[in-house]
Parts: sequence; structure tokens; C-alpha cells
Amino acid sequence: MGGYGDVKLLRDDGLRLDGRKLDEMRPVTIEAGILPAADGSAMVTHGLNVAVAAVYGPMEAHPRKIQRQDRAVIDVRYNMAPFSTSDRIRPGFNRRSREISKVTAEALESVVLVERYPRSKIRVEIEILAAEAGTRCAGITAASVALADAGIPMRDLLVGVASGKVEDIVVLDLDKAEDNYGQADLPVGILPNTGEIAFLQMDGDLSPDEYNLAMEYNFKAAAEIHEIMVDALKRRYEGGEN
Amino acid sequence: MVELVPTLLRQELARLAEDDLRLDGRGRWDGRDVDLQIDCLYNAEGSAKVVMGKTIVYAGVKFEIRTPWPDRPSQGSLMCGAELRPVAHRKYEPGPPSPQSIELGRVVDRGIRESGCIDMESLCIVPGEKVWGVMIDIHVLSDGGNVFDACGLAAIAALRTAVVPAERFDVGEDYTLKVNGTPIMASFTRVGGRYVFDPSEEEELGGDERIHITLGDEGHLHSLQKGLRGVFTPAEFAEIFEVAHQRCSELRKLVATQEGN
Repeated sequence: MGGYGDVKLLRDDGLRLDGRKLDEMRPVTIEAGILPAADGSAMVTHGLNVAVAAVYGPMEAHPRKIQRQDRAVIDVRYNMAPFSTSDRIRPGFNRRSREISKVTAEALESVVLVERYPRSKIRVEIEILAAEAGTRCAGITAASVALADAGIPMRDLLVGVASGKVEDIVVLDLDKAEDNYGQADLPVGILPNTGEIAFLQMDGDLSPDEYNLAMEYNFKAAAEIHEIMVDALKRRYEGGEN
Repeated sequence: MVELVPTLLRQELARLAEDDLRLDGRGRWDGRDVDLQIDCLYNAEGSAKVVMGKTIVYAGVKFEIRTPWPDRPSQGSLMCGAELRPVAHRKYEPGPPSPQSIELGRVVDRGIRESGCIDMESLCIVPGEKVWGVMIDIHVLSDGGNVFDACGLAAIAALRTAVVPAERFDVGEDYTLKVNGTPIMASFTRVGGRYVFDPSEEEELGGDERIHITLGDEGHLHSLQKGLRGVFTPAEFAEIFEVAHQRCSELRKLVATQEGN
């Protein structure tokens, strides 16, 4: 976290700089099946974040050493477009994107019924076209809608959400300023139907009570986003195409 | 991933070509409908999205301040790169930029650069010290054939919407980048023995060599590229050159319409 200095993140009326309440999420829109070349795909806009996910497979896992005899492996690539941030990002993998890709893959492997596809690979590509704090969560949400769009069986949809702390107060869904100057960030991947958590990261400083409140906010937001995800998938198949 | 070119597809394309037909019913010189959106990405200083059939491409423009090359102290620079991301097709694998991505980026780069639409002197801030580096990054999200034309169109359309972020770098007020012209690329692939404009994914898979032509506002050539295995005659080139003129001016009009002119 950028640490907490002179930057004011809460207004005198108790609302946040962009006018949101403490437990209010940025607007989310989701569209499934947007990439014709992919087996499944989705675009998620979360505030000003734009995340696109494509799914290819299940396909033969290669190189062979990555194969698992009893299940599929999920190969995730999280990538930020060079023009997605205010300073251009050099194309290519970096340490941050490698780590996010790894933990996202492990989270998705906990949700997808991977034992149905031994020795195969499911490729999940997450592209961030515009970034405004919270891209890994938008990416997780997009990836799970894309997996469902590809017809891959899952125990539940995985929803990416985050809460954090600014000026000693827990808030839901940090925006860019809150992420840069806030005190904590708690991004999670939630299975809304089972109430389980498949993705967890955190940095900053949270007391046990603050953690509990942040997680409560996250579950509330996950339920809201879950509805939007389901709606996107319904719209995709109500049209009569495919 | 090795692409298997189905013999049946080649045979079918050859059979259709005998009657001058195409798989998707288009005429030989017909392009797919083009959907162009400009200024569509937050955080990019200029941006565009192009959808042509199953092909989807985004381009974004970013600026940075750099020191000029010693032999050109008052000139900024322009760089255009393309990435055929693994998101775009199952045939694209992760890893360092492939020769295809590099060719794609460089062909688009040459068309824009050589058209002279950006005056490099206008990118100078302090001679010998500070100049603007303009970077166009092209992101191919879905490869449904003819990514070259989609990338070329997205790149120039994005560049034409670019606003120089001078305030953020503390060097004056933001201003619209001056772009003098709209270079446009037209691409042809040999399918069933003859060239067609704007090849689809299937036509590329079952086709042979391709030719990319970038034309400026005056109809002058600014970039040419022949790719893949195959040969062509001057007469064949004359024919597609003629078509390129028409298609490029149509696409140039589309850019102008989107810009509200």
C-alpha cells in the first residue's frame, strides 16, 4: 500500500471522493461471448477497469511434463495491455503478472471440475485493457464467466471482489486513489453459492475486526456481482445463437 | 501449435474460385463490414477499436518524454508495435514476440511513419534535451482473418484521436496531436489461385501468399509487404493496386465519419 499520508480520501459528509458510500461498489457490467475465436469469453467493466477473458480448451496438455494423470491443469495468463495504465507498461510478463496468473490459476482449479478432464489443459487468457485498481478481481470475474461460456463444468462461479481501508475506515472496492493512498487491500475470490473462498491476497494493515468487516463487505458485493454474471450468461444464450 | 491445413479446405476454395466465389459469399474484392470506435479506452491518450468479421483489435497511444537521438536533436520518435496475444486464437502461444507479431507491427509502423503524417519536429520539447516518444500499441484480441488491415486501421485511428499529456509531464498544456493524413492498409491473399481482398480466417488457412499495401491520402504508396510462400506477376499486382485505391479511400472516409468530419 502506498501508505497513509496527507491525501484526503473521505469527504466531510462521510462519503468517499467519488461520492460512494463506504459499502458501495463501483458499477459493474458483464458481457459473455464477445470473442468469436475463443471457446468461451467475457468482458467485465468494473468502474473504469476493463478486463477481457478468453478460454481455449480443454485441449491436450503440452509440454507433457505439465500433464496431470487425474485432472486438467488450468493455464492462466493475466496480462496488462501497454496502454492500460497512465504510464505505458512494457509488453511482456513481469513478476507481478506472473504471481497474479499463478494464484488465479490455482483459484480457478479449485472451482472447475478439473477431474473431468485428465491429462488436458484449459487455457485462460486475461487481458486488462484499462486499469483503475482492482484489475485482478475484474480478471477473475471475467475468467469465470468465460469458463461458463465455454461450457466447462464448475462447482460455482468465482467472483473477484476487494475491500480495503482508507483513513482508518473499512471500505468496499477501492478505486485508484484509495488503492494508492489507502492502508490496506483485501482482494478475494468468492464462491457465492457455497460461501467458500478460493482466492485470497492482502497487503497493508488490518485489525481482526477490520478484516471481518472487509470480508463481510466482500461477500455482500460478491452476491451482487454474481447476479450480474448470471444475467450475462442468460443473455448470451437467450438470443438463440449457438 | 502447428497449423494443419486441411486438404479439403484447399480443394473447396479452389473449386469456389473457378466460379469466382468465396466461402462466405463475398465478391472477390468485397471487404467485411468494418466497425470502428474511437477514443474508447480510459488511460490511453488515444485509442480505437476495430471489428471486422471475427477479428477484433484495439490500439492505444501512449507518450513518454525521452532524450533525442544525438544526430536528430529536435526530432521526437514514433514506434508502433503489435502483439498477437494468446487470447486471440488457440494457435498463438505465450512467449516472446513471435516473428509474425514483429512483422505485423513493423508493416503497420512503416505505413504510418513513411506517410509523414507525424511531423517528428513537432514532437520536440527542448532541442537536444527533451522530445516526445509516441508509442502505438496494438492488441489483437481475436484473430478472425486479416489482422493486418484491422491493426493498420486501429493504429491510425487511435493516433488521430491522441491528446499529448503535457500537463501530466509538467511541460505545458495538453494539446491534440497534429496528424497530417490517414494512411490506410489494404491486404490481399491468394486463395484458390487468385487474389482476394480482406481474407477471412479460413481463406488464410487454405490460402497462399499475401500482399499488404498502405496508401496515403494522395494515393501514394507508403509501405508494401509480401508475406508467406508464393510468387505473383506485375499484372496481378496492378489489379490489386487498383482495388487497394478504392478500398483505402472508403476506409479513410469511415475514419473521417467517426471523427465527425
